[in-house]
Amino acid sequence: MDISSEIREHVLVANIGERIDGSNALDFQNALSALIDDGKRDVILDFENLKYISSAGLRVILMTAKSVQRQGGRLMVCSLSESVREVFKISGFDRIIPVEDSQEDAIAATKS
Amino acid sequence: MRRNIRRGQYSFVFARNGIEALEVLADDPSIDMVLSDINMPRMDGLTLLEQIPSVSPDIRCVIVSAYGDMKNIRVAMNRGAFDFVTKPIDFEDLTVTIDRTMKHLEEWREALASRDKLVVIQNELDVASKMQSSILPTVFPRSPHYQVSARMQAARNVGGDFYDVMNLAGSALGLAIADVSDKGVPAALFMMSCRTLLKGSAIGTGDPGLVLNEVNDLLQESNDAAMFVTALYAVYDPSTGILTYANGGHNTPLVVHPDGTSEVLALTGGVALAVVPGYQYETASITLAPGDTVILYTDGVTEAMNERAEEFGMERLIALFEGQPPTDTEEPLDAVFEAVNEFAGEAPQSDDITCLVFRRSEH
Repeated sequence: MDISSEIREHVLVANIGERIDGSNALDFQNALSALIDDGKRDVILDFENLKYISSAGLRVILMTAKSVQRQGGRLMVCSLSESVREVFKISGFDRIIPVEDSQEDAIAATKS
Repeated sequence: MRRNIRRGQYSFVFARNGIEALEVLADDPSIDMVLSDINMPRMDGLTLLEQIPSVSPDIRCVIVSAYGDMKNIRVAMNRGAFDFVTKPIDFEDLTVTIDRTMKHLEEWREALASRDKLVVIQNELDVASKMQSSILPTVFPRSPHYQVSARMQAARNVGGDFYDVMNLAGSALGLAIADVSDKGVPAALFMMSCRTLLKGSAIGTGDPGLVLNEVNDLLQESNDAAMFVTALYAVYDPSTGILTYANGGHNTPLVVHPDGTSEVLALTGGVALAVVPGYQYETASITLAPGDTVILYTDGVTEAMNERAEEFGMERLIALFEGQPPTDTEEPLDAVFEAVNEFAGEAPQSDDITCLVFRRSEH
């Protein structure tokens, strides 16, 4: 699973690959936990390239959100495709994980 | 070489010819490797090579041949020799050859052990998978007022989906469909406890929202793995035709009317179960007209993918019933599975596919 990441205005921004399902969820989880282990406060997952996320992928997002919260930060997602947004909406994940339209909106939201 | 022998790393057993070698091998199963000349009395090295697998199949043979004797070397390799050394023997070369053979043998044995372990695990998974399928009802309550059918087509791994149909107090009927996050043994165990808790709660109260509230809270206990389950739970009252339901992050039901038109029920905004402690699930309701059919399904239906990585989607599900409204519940169930499997073609099934069809009778 390739995840590229950068620090923008004290926020960790991670760009996620095309697909998260049962076959790569564990890699995704390990990659994310390595990224957040250094205690950056807020985390934005940019889903610009993400085409499909299964429930196994959602579980990793949930675990990551919980561990970011334990470190006193927040986890947000941004740039969701229509189908990924639908998955977030149906599962109710959009009620527990903030969904922003763009990276800029997400960074602005971390300041609020 | 001499040092290795002195250190006790290797010990040697000697045989004067092929027949004696076979006797020695039969007597001592701890022998790992045979180093043999080709020319020997009574039974030569090439014949020995042919005989060894029947005595000890895992043994590795290294053949000693005359320098440049490619013909015999080729025969030896074809008969399963692992390697060869040539005369006059260079002891350093022999040491390297023996070490390499022994290392290969060690790795080969590890691979065999892993394979055996995998076979055991796979067998256990198959049993778990069968146990899981066996708790899903295949015989459904019968009533002059309604019909119900359901089916799950499991993906290769254990885990995932379940459905349930329950007779409740006052001739009401409980209908549940659910999808546990992820696959594998942890998901399967989680699914078993979801099903049991749901059944227990369903018997306790007729309000689907309260049922999900209770199951949600019970699932929170000891859920370090952040498992979750999406579930739709509905209760049908045959005396009024009212279907009440609550949705915990699950795909919304499709209602097909007797004229072939259909509607997707509105999302009621519930979060998947086992995610937010104390979450209050909303109970919604619709009145089913005679002949209305309710289709509950998991994302294994709508997200089934074909070879071009396209999803089956909601539109295809709705299109199945356009102009051909269901007249019972088996036929639409068959139609859904046929359509999804045909759509998926050769693409591997990555998720369980589950569908439950409920129909209010015309009278």
